[in-house]
Amino acid sequence: MRHTFAIARRVVKQLLRNPRFLVLSVAAPLVIVYLLKLFFDTMPEGFDVARYAVPVAAFLVHFLAFILCAIALVQERTAGTMERMFINGFRRIEIIGGYVLGFLGLATFQAVAALAEAIWLFELDYDGETLITLFVVVWLLAIASVMLGIFVSTFARHEGQVFPFIPLIILPSVFLSGLLVDVDELPQWAGWLGHAFPLFWANDVIQVVIEANWIFEDVWVSFSVLAGYGVALLLLASLTLREAE
Amino acid sequence: MDAIEVAGLVKRYGKIEALSGVDLSVPEGAVFGLVGPNGAGKTTLIKALVGSLRPTDGEVSVLGLSPLKDKARLRRQIGYMPQSPALYDDLSARDNVAFFGAAHHTPDLRKRVAEVIEFTDLANRANDPVHTFSGGMKRRVSLACALVHRPKMLFLDEPTAAVDPQLRSRFWTTFRELARDGATLFISTHLMDEAMLCDRISILRRGRVIASDSPRRILERGGTRLTVGREGGEEQSVIGGRPEDLAEALRPHGLSRDVTAVGVDADSLETVVLSIIGKEEG
Repeated sequence: MRHTFAIARRVVKQLLRNPRFLVLSVAAPLVIVYLLKLFFDTMPEGFDVARYAVPVAAFLVHFLAFILCAIALVQERTAGTMERMFINGFRRIEIIGGYVLGFLGLATFQAVAALAEAIWLFELDYDGETLITLFVVVWLLAIASVMLGIFVSTFARHEGQVFPFIPLIILPSVFLSGLLVDVDELPQWAGWLGHAFPLFWANDVIQVVIEANWIFEDVWVSFSVLAGYGVALLLLASLTLREAE
Repeated sequence: MDAIEVAGLVKRYGKIEALSGVDLSVPEGAVFGLVGPNGAGKTTLIKALVGSLRPTDGEVSVLGLSPLKDKARLRRQIGYMPQSPALYDDLSARDNVAFFGAAHHTPDLRKRVAEVIEFTDLANRANDPVHTFSGGMKRRVSLACALVHRPKMLFLDEPTAAVDPQLRSRFWTTFRELARDGATLFISTHLMDEAMLCDRISILRRGRVIASDSPRRILERGGTRLTVGREGGEEQSVIGGRPEDLAEALRPHGLSRDVTAVGVDADSLETVVLSIIGKEEG
C-alpha cells in the first residue's frame, strides 16, 4: 500500500501543479450542463427535463474521467516514466491503484460539481436519500471510467491513439445506454450491446431513483453490475499493463 | 566476480534482430563502457539487463540474479538512467527524486534526497518545476533519481548525450566517485573520448559484440605512423600501437645528431574501432 499511496500522492501533486488542466476538467462539464439548459429551454412545455439532465451530467463525468486518465497514462509511457516506475520496483497493481486513488479526488469533485449544477439549473427537487444515491452512482461510474481509461491506455503508444477509442466506446454508449432513448425501443441486438457499457447501468439506476417511491431493491442489481464493472476493468487493466516488452 | 554475465542474448522484433547473440561480462566495481554507433542495440541490451525487455533467447545474470525471474530482488540493487530524462515535468526536482526514492525502502528518505540533490549540484533549483530546467539539468535530476537508493549497480544509457563539455566532465568525475565507493557502472556511449575513460569496453555492432577489452588494449590494435626526419630527408613507417613497438622502431635510429625530428601519429580509438568494424564487415 505504501507504493500505491506514493503514486496517488504524486498524481494528485501533478494535478494540483497544473491549475489550467484542473480548472478545465471541472469547468468543461459545468459549461456543457449550462449549454444543455439553454437547449432544453427551447423544448415544448411538458418536456421531461429530469429524464435527461442527471444522465447527461453523469455522461460528462464518465467521458472526462476516461479521457483524462487514459491520456495521463499514455503520457507516462511516452515520457518513459512508466518504464522507470517498473524498474524502480513499483508493481502493476500498485500503479493502477495509485492512479485510481489519485484520480478519484478529481472524479469526486467533477461528480459533485456537475450533479449540483444540474439539480440547481433544472430546478430538480429530490430528497436526501435520492441525492446521495445519485452521487454514489455517478461516483461509481467515474471509478469505472478511470479503470476504462487505464485499460484503453495499454493499447495506445501515444496520446493520439487514445482518440479512436472515443467513437469506439464512448459515442456508442451515448446512443445505446438509454441516455437519449429507452433501450427497449432499440433493436434487440443494439439493446444487448448497450448492456456492455457502464453508462447503461448508471443510467438504469438514475432513471429509477429520479422517480418517486423507489426502494433499494429496485436498483441493487444495476449498482452491483456497475461496481463489478470497475473490478473487472481493474483486473483487465492489471493483466494488460505491460511491464516488459 | 562478474557483476554482469550475458551469454548468447538474442532479441527479435518480428523480422528485425536487434541483438544477435551478445556475449559479455562486466567485473564487479568496474566502469564499463558499451560502445557502438546509433542503432547498434545498446539501449536494447540495457533494457534486457534491467528487466524491461524479454529476450528472445540467451542468458542474462546481473549481480547473480535474473532480471525477469528475480526482478523484485534485483531492482532494489540497481539504478537506471534512461536515454530520455523520464521525469515528471510538472513536479520539482526534489519531488521527482523523492518519488522514485519512495519505490525503495530507503532509510531516512528525506535526508537521502537532500544528499543526492547536493551531490548532483541541484540544491539551488531543487524546488523548481523540472519543465523550467535546461537539458543538462534534467539529466542531472535523472541521475539523482537513479542514485537515490544507493544502488550497487548503475545502468546509464548515453548519460552525456547532448550535454556540454563542462557538464560531461562533471558527470565523469561523479561516475568515478561512485565506482570508488564500490558501485559497478554500465554506461552506453557512442563517444570514443568517453570510452577511453572506462576500465573496460565492449564494442557493439549490429547487435553483436565485436571486441571487448580495456580501451588501452583495444587502442594497441591500431597502428602508429612514425616519421623520422633526417638531414637530407624523411623516413616514414607504420608500426604497432604498443609502447614497445615504438621503442623497437626507434632503436635502429638511436639519437644521432642527424636525427632532427621524430613524429609519432598514433591511431585514435575511433580509428581503431572503425578498422575493427571494417574487418568484421570483410
